[in-house]
Order: sequence, then structure tokens, then C-alpha cells
Amino acid sequence: MFWTKAAYAAESGGTDHGPQILFSLFGLDVTSETTTMWGIMLLLAIASYLATRNMKRIPSGIQNVMEFAVEGIINLLSGIMGEERAKKYLPLLGSLFLFILISNYSGVLPGAGHTPGLKAPTSNWSVTLGLALVVFMSTQYYGVKERGLKYFKHFFEPLPFMFPLNIIEQMVRPLSLSLRLYGNVFGEEMVVAGLFALVPLIVPLPMMILGLLFGFIQAFVFTLLASIYIAEATEVHHH
Amino acid sequence: MEIHIPDIVWAIINFLILVAILNKFLHKPVTKMLNERRNEVINNLDKAEKAKIDSEKMKDEYASQLQNAKSEAQEIIAKASKMGEETKNEIVTQARVEAEKVSAKAQDEIRLEKTKALAELRDEVATLAVLAAEKIISKSIDSKDHEKMVQDFVKEVGEAQ
Repeated sequence: MFWTKAAYAAESGGTDHGPQILFSLFGLDVTSETTTMWGIMLLLAIASYLATRNMKRIPSGIQNVMEFAVEGIINLLSGIMGEERAKKYLPLLGSLFLFILISNYSGVLPGAGHTPGLKAPTSNWSVTLGLALVVFMSTQYYGVKERGLKYFKHFFEPLPFMFPLNIIEQMVRPLSLSLRLYGNVFGEEMVVAGLFALVPLIVPLPMMILGLLFGFIQAFVFTLLASIYIAEATEVHHH
Repeated sequence: MEIHIPDIVWAIINFLILVAILNKFLHKPVTKMLNERRNEVINNLDKAEKAKIDSEKMKDEYASQLQNAKSEAQEIIAKASKMGEETKNEIVTQARVEAEKVSAKAQDEIRLEKTKALAELRDEVATLAVLAAEKIISKSIDSKDHEKMVQDFVKEVGEAQ
């Protein structure tokens, strides 16, 4: 891990590898990751607004694109938790997918990582941990909301002494979720940066194209796991 | 790889805001549109199905009407030909009966005439014979014998006949 950080520091113009704090808002430090998140939010908001501003029965243009994306996510979720719950949890899980996907791709933009204010949010463990914590909290919240006290029963299953293991499993989930996403995006960026430092022309291109594929796969995997966790927590057993 | 708390907080805040924005501008309108479109497709399919059933029913109806008309025409023709046959038979039978009647009547008449003629002839012949005999044997026989002779003769003639 040490050499990648060194390479990253060398690539980003010798700046410190700690967080780049741009300014402070409401007493919270704002880093390049945060400003990029704002940009992504704005982009998604504008795209959504344009897509649904004047919806046609026969879609075209951006409406088609966004409908395709949402329908694809609904189909994915339906396969995991059934259509009814898929539509219920779509706002959370659909946003998660789109946000992570665009975040991953923001790292491919020219100057991303070197320009203050522009850095792929998902290449930072703090951000992915934040997202994973949202998933963790949502899982617990929906579990209790849908099943009440019965939700806690499954911590003692299949045998009561499994309780500590079940708790550890729950706790490890946000860690594995966030580290998987962060590690993949960060690592991919490091490889591109390393190649770029060696041969600036053409050579990093295949890796960047692969990066687009990985960016999609990681967003997909994160959303898939999140939906599996929520599906499991809200599963109502019919006897 | 150290944790920077403000980034975690910002990520959570930003993501929750994004969920709200996308819910209003993307997920709700799109799911609504998808539902509408789905309902419309279902409606159209239902309508098409209904129209198909209707047309099928109409087709069956017309077919059965056509079948009815055909069998009716067949029936009328059969009836007419049967009626013609009956009329013909009746006429023929009647004619035969009539002819038989006429023929029987004619035969009866002939027989009657014949009997009458024979009787007349017999009388005539007897009278003539008696007259001839009278002339031959003059007036030797009285009236009583004469009578008896005529009777015998008639009898003879009748037997001879």
C-alpha cells in the first residue's frame, strides 16, 4: 500500500496525501470529494429534471436514457426482493447505483485527482464508508419497520449462541462494502496514474477503458449487496 | 488510508439529499410513467382480445345464419318436390279410379243390353214359331194346347240357348 500512496503523491504534484481541505461549511471541512459530490448531485438532478419535465408516453432522448436506467434497476431489484419491495426501496437503491456509477466515472475526467475541487468521491474510503453506513442504517431501520421486534429474532438464529457472530457479520458489512468499492476505484486510479507517469500517451488508455467497466461493476456490486441486505432484513416469512 | 470524519458526514448528507431529489424528479415520475404505460398496454391488449372475441362471435353468427338459410332453402326445395310428387300421384290415382268406374259402368250396360236383347229375341222367336205351327196344323189345337206348346217351345229354346 505504501508505494501506491507514494506514486499517487508523486503524480498529484507532490501534494500531501492527506485530505485536500478547500474550505469549511457549517463547521465541516469541505474537500475535493465533497465538491465533486455536489457536482454529481447537480448533474443527476438536472438530468432527472430534464428527463421527467415533460414526459411523453413514447419516450425519446434523455427521458429514454433515464427510463432505461430506472427500469434496469427495478428489474435488478425485482429479481432479488420481488417487484413490490423493489418499487418501495427503489429511491434508496436506485440513487445509490446512479451516485456510485457517476462518482466512479468522475475519476476518468481529465484532471480528476490533480485539480482542486475535482476528485472521484468513491476513491476516498471516508465517502464509501459514509455510503455503506447509510446502507447499514437503512437495513436496520427497514428491518425493524417491516418486522418489528421479530427482526431481532434473526440475530439468534439458527442457534442462540450464534448471536455474537451475527452481530459481527452485521458490523463487518459496512466495512467490506466500503473497502471493496474504495479499493477498486482507488486502485484503478493508481494504476492509471502510474502508467500515465511512465508513458503519458495511449498506454494508459486500455486501463482507462477497463476502468469504465470496473466503475460499472463496482456500482452494480455495491447496489446488489445493499439490496440483498435490505431484502434479507425485510423478508417476511410465511408459515 | 485514514478516515476523515467530515467526508463521512458530507457523504451521508449529500447522499440523503440526492435520494430526496431523485425521488421527486426521477424515481416517482418514472415509476408512474412505467405504470401508466403498463396499464395502457394491458388495456389495449384487453381491448384487442375483446374485439377478437366479438368478431369471432359475429363470424360464428353469420356462419350459422348462412347455414340456416341453406338448410331452409334445402327444405323448401324438398317440400316442393314432395308436394309435386304427391299431386302427381293423386292425379294418376284419381284418373285410374275414374277410368275403372267408367269401364265397369260400360260393362254393366253392355250386359244389361245383352240380357234385354236376348229376352226380346226369345219372345219374338217363340211367337213366330207358334204362328208358323198354327198355320201348318191349322186350327186343330185349342187354345189350351196352344198355350202349352208355346211354353214348351220357349223352354226348349231357352235350354238350347
